Amino acid sequence: MANYFNTLPLREKLNQLGVCDFMENDEFLDGVNALKGKKLVVVGCGAQGLNQGLNLRDSGLDVSYALRKEAIEQKRDSWKNATDNNFKVGTYEELIPTADVVINLTPDKQHTAVVSAVMPLMKQGATLSYSHGFNIVEEGMQIRKDLTVIMVAPKCPGSEVRAEYLRGFGVPTLIAVHPENDPEGKGLAQAKAYCVGTGGHRAGVLKSSFVAEVKSDLMGEQTILCGLLQTGSILSFDKMVEKGIDAGYASKLVQYGVEVITEALKHGGVSGMMDRLSNVAKIKAFKISEELKDIMRPLFQKHQDDIMSGEFSSTMMADWANGDANLLKWRAETGETAFEKTPAGDVKIGEQEYFDNYTLMVAFVRAGVELAFETMVEAGIKPESAYYESLHETPLIANTIARKKLFEMNRVISDTAEYGCYLFDQACKPLLADFMKTVDTDLVGKNFNEGKDGSVDNAELVAINEILRDHQVEVVGRKLRKAMTAMKSIKTA
Amino acid sequence: MSTSIVQISNLNLKYGNKAVLRDLEWTIQAGENWLLTGLSGSGKTALLKAIAGIEKSTDEIVVSFDKQSSARPVCQYIAQWYQFKNVEGVANFYYQQRYNAQQVQDTLTVNAELAHYAKENHLNLPQAEPILEALGFAPLKNAQLIELSSGEHKKLQLVKALWLKPQLLLLDQPYTGLDIQSRQNLNNLLDEVTSNGVQTILISNETEIPACINRYAEIVDGQLEEHFTFCSRKEIVIEDRPIPEFLHQAPPSSSETLIKMVGVNINYGEKQVLKNVDWEIKAGEKWLLQGHNGSGKSTLLSLINGDHPQAYANEIYLFGNKRGSGESIWDIKEHIGLISPELHWYFDFNATVWQSIASGFFDSIGLYKEIGWHKRTQVDELIEYFGLTANKNDLLAQLPLGKQRLVLLARTVIKNPELLVLDEPCQGLDAHQTLQFNTLIDGLCTTNRTLIYVSHSDDQLPKNLTHQLLLSKGEVIHNKIYKKREELESVI
Repeated sequence: MANYFNTLPLREKLNQLGVCDFMENDEFLDGVNALKGKKLVVVGCGAQGLNQGLNLRDSGLDVSYALRKEAIEQKRDSWKNATDNNFKVGTYEELIPTADVVINLTPDKQHTAVVSAVMPLMKQGATLSYSHGFNIVEEGMQIRKDLTVIMVAPKCPGSEVRAEYLRGFGVPTLIAVHPENDPEGKGLAQAKAYCVGTGGHRAGVLKSSFVAEVKSDLMGEQTILCGLLQTGSILSFDKMVEKGIDAGYASKLVQYGVEVITEALKHGGVSGMMDRLSNVAKIKAFKISEELKDIMRPLFQKHQDDIMSGEFSSTMMADWANGDANLLKWRAETGETAFEKTPAGDVKIGEQEYFDNYTLMVAFVRAGVELAFETMVEAGIKPESAYYESLHETPLIANTIARKKLFEMNRVISDTAEYGCYLFDQACKPLLADFMKTVDTDLVGKNFNEGKDGSVDNAELVAINEILRDHQVEVVGRKLRKAMTAMKSIKTA
Repeated sequence: MSTSIVQISNLNLKYGNKAVLRDLEWTIQAGENWLLTGLSGSGKTALLKAIAGIEKSTDEIVVSFDKQSSARPVCQYIAQWYQFKNVEGVANFYYQQRYNAQQVQDTLTVNAELAHYAKENHLNLPQAEPILEALGFAPLKNAQLIELSSGEHKKLQLVKALWLKPQLLLLDQPYTGLDIQSRQNLNNLLDEVTSNGVQTILISNETEIPACINRYAEIVDGQLEEHFTFCSRKEIVIEDRPIPEFLHQAPPSSSETLIKMVGVNINYGEKQVLKNVDWEIKAGEKWLLQGHNGSGKSTLLSLINGDHPQAYANEIYLFGNKRGSGESIWDIKEHIGLISPELHWYFDFNATVWQSIASGFFDSIGLYKEIGWHKRTQVDELIEYFGLTANKNDLLAQLPLGKQRLVLLARTVIKNPELLVLDEPCQGLDAHQTLQFNTLIDGLCTTNRTLIYVSHSDDQLPKNLTHQLLLSKGEVIHNKIYKKREELESVI
């Protein structure tokens, strides 16, 4: 199988990268009708599979689960999840031939095996749905020409997809139709109906393409979302310990700090996050984040280039073929870092303290979000797509770090994201070595405002505020966030 | 030397910006057990929290423990609201999560939780056994925390408190959600611990109080007023407010038989929660649903509200359609005005009063849509009726529990639904608020509106009930024209 993107002429590459349409509410007035009465068969019953299926059924659709024979015979968790909720469960052979829509919600790595097994059983003119395009775009899976291929990707963990639905809301969702597989022209209508069925239409839907989704998703997860949060967390912790800050305090500040700081990002974008700092601290954070952007830009560009050329995916797939040797080794190394091994101390850290004592992370996040966004947009990805894969997802990933540090982040994200995260982390740490020598505890560990009188140059502050607010990620973000009206308040541990 | 355990002088406390306690004086002597009453928002909870040193400690309160006592020299406050966390230590759960079966074990089992508590507080597990028995909690030891009903969570909270044996036990509405038998048993347990070195202060609006209570006080206008017996200074007078015009007429019924269940069974693994339940509700009937904690009431109602995944495997007809015939849960909820302890527990406390009430039009937890002028005026009218106008822009989180409950009650009726499902609606309300709400329900439940009302208590019921369903251990043991408990007991 050849990399699909690389088989395209440049004009078609640009064309597919540029698919990006933030859909209006009135585009969903047809509700779930395009799927009403159709047989939906979900393959896989993990967190996404189960929770999406529960939502789709509660929206009046006919849902059942196809599992591998062994999973059924051995009554594995996926079988229990489906049967305990009274879903019909059967083998591929039993259920796939009757399916009008086959919804593939297995882990990325299994896609080739699953799709190869399922495709011959699918009936003429049926639809195959993905939630991530890696298999189509990077692995180049060829789908039978009579089948329609769509993507529906809720941009949140499975439990969140269910929780938001039951509140009467939903999670932001990305949909796409594969241009090589839309023989009857029904793909978009079905993807929209699917989205209504999971509640996604209430929280903002972005129409994208398989190509744009994959190329932006990989870039986001490797750089700002996982890579930089990992690097920033480890460097911050090590710096505090080096400077004599209590290790328990340092561990807690880092573990929960990213979550609190990026919650502000979720509500008010980069400028909203920066506004949580005092004026003096904001000016400082601005200056060091500018410096960080200069240092890290070539690394962000390298990641984007390797993603576009297929270099990244072919390297990673070689590691898959090698029994994940590199992935497992790097995972073990991350588990051995001092930050990972130091439990959070039993100290109360107030919400504002996470900003005042962790100015460095604010600078890291601003630099990372803007760099990832800028690099994606320069590579032909539309700003709305770039926003989702950078700023929007950062708080979601930060939330996993708050739960159980980097271990939890790397457990929850896909193996693909994890692999890219380690690549970034290994290259980024040496790059920042000189910069980190200039960092003291006023930026990480202690209150930046301490011993300063708080006065700033007005003209400088005004200029900085303008630069922050006029950045394209902010302009796009303000529009998109309006659609996602239900925001939860900032939590503090 | 004085034998007072608590000495309060000149205590002033604010709730938000509002002063609730003014120069309050209170001395609690050894051997005294107090009942504390007062209207919702009068400062009862704030006072107990202050004594327990929760939030902030003040010099105005001196607590001195008895070093010779066999009871633990601590002050334990048991909040009206139970809390539990998942295995990662986060309390991040969602409405009706417990009905969605998931293999990932998110929360501890009751057993593990008790073991953890024992370790934390250096307690002996076997000593908890009699308390678990007395509150009927023993069969639940292998249940996961997420699976417990609200009444069962309340019991777990009480088990822990009684097991700890603190010298000062502060109980804030401990009867909330408990069935009649459990209330009795709790009172017996309280009598027992208070004869063994525990002293208690009890906040409650109930008439059934433990025999150990020997002092009575009410908070009136920010100060403590002592009574010689259980009574309230104020006669309850309800204002004669007119019910808003738009609620006068119930909508026409969607079908003659609103609800029909045939041989319904619900299992969680080995445990059978509902056994072969048949139930038919015709339009216009007013049902009282009763049963002990864990008898299956909430599960039964969740089948009606479209909240239970196992509804799809049972023969259930709602509003004229067979369940699982292509309707969405939102099509079902549209017909129903719902309130339940769980809905309250999982509600979005960052929504304002106004938004919370308006969200009832869409059955959502929090408001995600713009609503038109006509509906806006209805929300305003109802807010006025419930006496919440001054609080209309407050966040729910800023209100005392009783007021929060009133807001959610307003949300329940805002869309003028054909069916009202009121699962312990008056939990947390004071006597005045309860009477006011039941008067509204009587006014709303005229001929063609249908009602399902759940209550453990018999003295706070709407007047026009017509039928009764009684559940015991998941089985219907009584299904007929409504009778009062005394008559019913003579039947069994």
